[in-house]
Amino acid sequence: MSRTPRPSVPRTALVAAVALAAALTACSAPGESDSEAGSDSGPIKIAVVNARSGQLSSLGEWEYKGAKLAIDEWNKKGGVNGRKIEMKSFDDQGDPTTGTNLARKIDSENYIAMIGTAESAVTIAMAPVLKQAGIPNITSGQADALVDQKSPFLFLNGPTSTTYDSTLAKHLIEDKGYKKIAMITNNGSFGKGEHDAFAKAAKDLGVSPVTDQVVTTDQKDFSAALTKIRSKKPEAVFIGSEEVEAGLIVKQARDLGITVPFAGAAPQGTPVFIDTAGEKAVEGTIVSSPYLSNDISPAAQKFAAAYQAAYGEEAELHGAKAYDGTNILLTALKSSDVATGRKLADAIRATAYDGLLGRFEFGADGVGITETAIGVIRDGKLVEQK
Amino acid sequence: MQDTLQTLVSGLSLGAVYALVAMGFSLVYRTMGLVNFAHADIAMIGAYAASTFYLTSHLPFAVAMGLAIVITGAIGLVIERVLRPLENKDFDLMLIGTIGFGIVLQALAIIIWGTTGRAVPSPLDSAPLDVLGIRIRTYDLLVMAVAALAVVALAFFLSRTKRGAAMQAVAMDHEAATAVGIDVGRSNALAFAIGAGLAALAGGLVGPMLYVDASLGGALGIKGFAAAMLGGFGSIHGAVVGGIAIGVLDSYAAGHFQGYSVLVTFLVFTIAIMIRPMGIFGERTVSRA
Repeated sequence: MSRTPRPSVPRTALVAAVALAAALTACSAPGESDSEAGSDSGPIKIAVVNARSGQLSSLGEWEYKGAKLAIDEWNKKGGVNGRKIEMKSFDDQGDPTTGTNLARKIDSENYIAMIGTAESAVTIAMAPVLKQAGIPNITSGQADALVDQKSPFLFLNGPTSTTYDSTLAKHLIEDKGYKKIAMITNNGSFGKGEHDAFAKAAKDLGVSPVTDQVVTTDQKDFSAALTKIRSKKPEAVFIGSEEVEAGLIVKQARDLGITVPFAGAAPQGTPVFIDTAGEKAVEGTIVSSPYLSNDISPAAQKFAAAYQAAYGEEAELHGAKAYDGTNILLTALKSSDVATGRKLADAIRATAYDGLLGRFEFGADGVGITETAIGVIRDGKLVEQK
Repeated sequence: MQDTLQTLVSGLSLGAVYALVAMGFSLVYRTMGLVNFAHADIAMIGAYAASTFYLTSHLPFAVAMGLAIVITGAIGLVIERVLRPLENKDFDLMLIGTIGFGIVLQALAIIIWGTTGRAVPSPLDSAPLDVLGIRIRTYDLLVMAVAALAVVALAFFLSRTKRGAAMQAVAMDHEAATAVGIDVGRSNALAFAIGAGLAALAGGLVGPMLYVDASLGGALGIKGFAAAMLGGFGSIHGAVVGGIAIGVLDSYAAGHFQGYSVLVTFLVFTIAIMIRPMGIFGERTVSRA
């Protein structure tokens, strides 16, 4: 004789109660659920999440080096309030799904703060989990969609795309007097952010792009888009794409006979972009960046020297950003006496800091810096536009 | 009009590369009835090897390519040797074996060359030709010429030499071939080695056009595989036609549909395959699977 299991009333009630309890826990204010995270002794655990493999790995490498340099300097001075800082690097492969898993992992392993990622799409994917877990995150991403997350735990260690691109658009249209500007952007988070920010900034100045080409993030042949651009005879071409792709675009554009200058934000000032395209192809590229060179200030020179000594290579923007971001986090940890969760986030927001990129003063949106300068590439080096 | 022709030119040169990849797929398939899923990653290794000899060892580009082909040919022989005990016994395991080799090769590339790829400068210094406003990269012409040469050489080898004829015989009926004294194992090994050499040729040639990193195989493999399918799996002529068709199709799709180009390319491909499942030059007799 078989018995059909039938859910009894008490069991249903129990299930409902468990579900309710789970829902209540989930609804508690962010940052308050993780009281065990901030133990009062032992090293302070900070996670650095970045792409350490794949096409974006050079970005991750710079970020890691910048963050590590800051942490090493603090540890050498005795850490934060007598506690050593322990940093661990995680590889998100530039992939949002991997990033989300890592967000859960750093929560379960009780890291109190996160540095990274350099990829807006990954940071956006991680933001909800980190917000729930109450882990402050200082990202190197710059897409305006980061601000749209409205997470009190998300901070940017540099300006947003809007800042980069409105400065750039102003320079191209008002200073240079260009009226015919072509756009080529990719359809990833960063590229889309750049696209919208630049298009809006140009439109505000009364210029609409002569052509607006969108490519995919893993595309390698851009002949079709570049052919369209060439036929419109623009005076300058705006690129919204990461280092390697932007480099390939410029390289192929020169082959197709496009001779006008390219313009763009942070990625176009990096050595990877210059190496990928070739020195000759990038001559005259116009770059909007908060950190044009290692000579912009005495602090930058000191940073560059330390970077050179530690890694045997020249520092650039992304390392400087991560260095600034990490220093802000550590300053906040010091001023808040190693708080965690919401308190640490508030301490970061309250931190005013004179960094390599300029003076950081965070607003409610998590953006600390709202200024960039215009540079131009001459003989394979980014120099200030005079 | 100018736009259309310019797009055609860039489609043709990438199409020539896809054709080379497709030829390698087809050669192994017609001889062994096996799809070598490591094929695209062999192409990636070939691209890395060629670029290393060219950029780091400063060898002439042609010499670097030759060395890359020899190296990948050897890799092809190793794969065939490892899989040989499974020949005619467990087909699925052989298939999975080739996938495994592909993963191993990718990991190996990351260990040897690191995770950041490299952009290879064009080995031809001359400026692009300007024909009626259409810019033709001299390197693209070289790629097409080399690909055409490879097609002719392979066709000659298969139809005019004893070894080639033996391979054809194995392709048609391996039991009958064994009965008349053809060494099937050697024939398979040769197919694998030539296939791998073609992959290296494709990879080495595409290096200066695209970007060499561990994921290069993915981009080449899927389009090369589609090209082989479109042309008719196992047919050498089909591989050439399929490769050029996919290259040109992809180029136009990129021009018209921008971010959605891959989607459009493969939609068209799917419809073409639905209408003609055996591909353009598909021969039912070749299929042994």
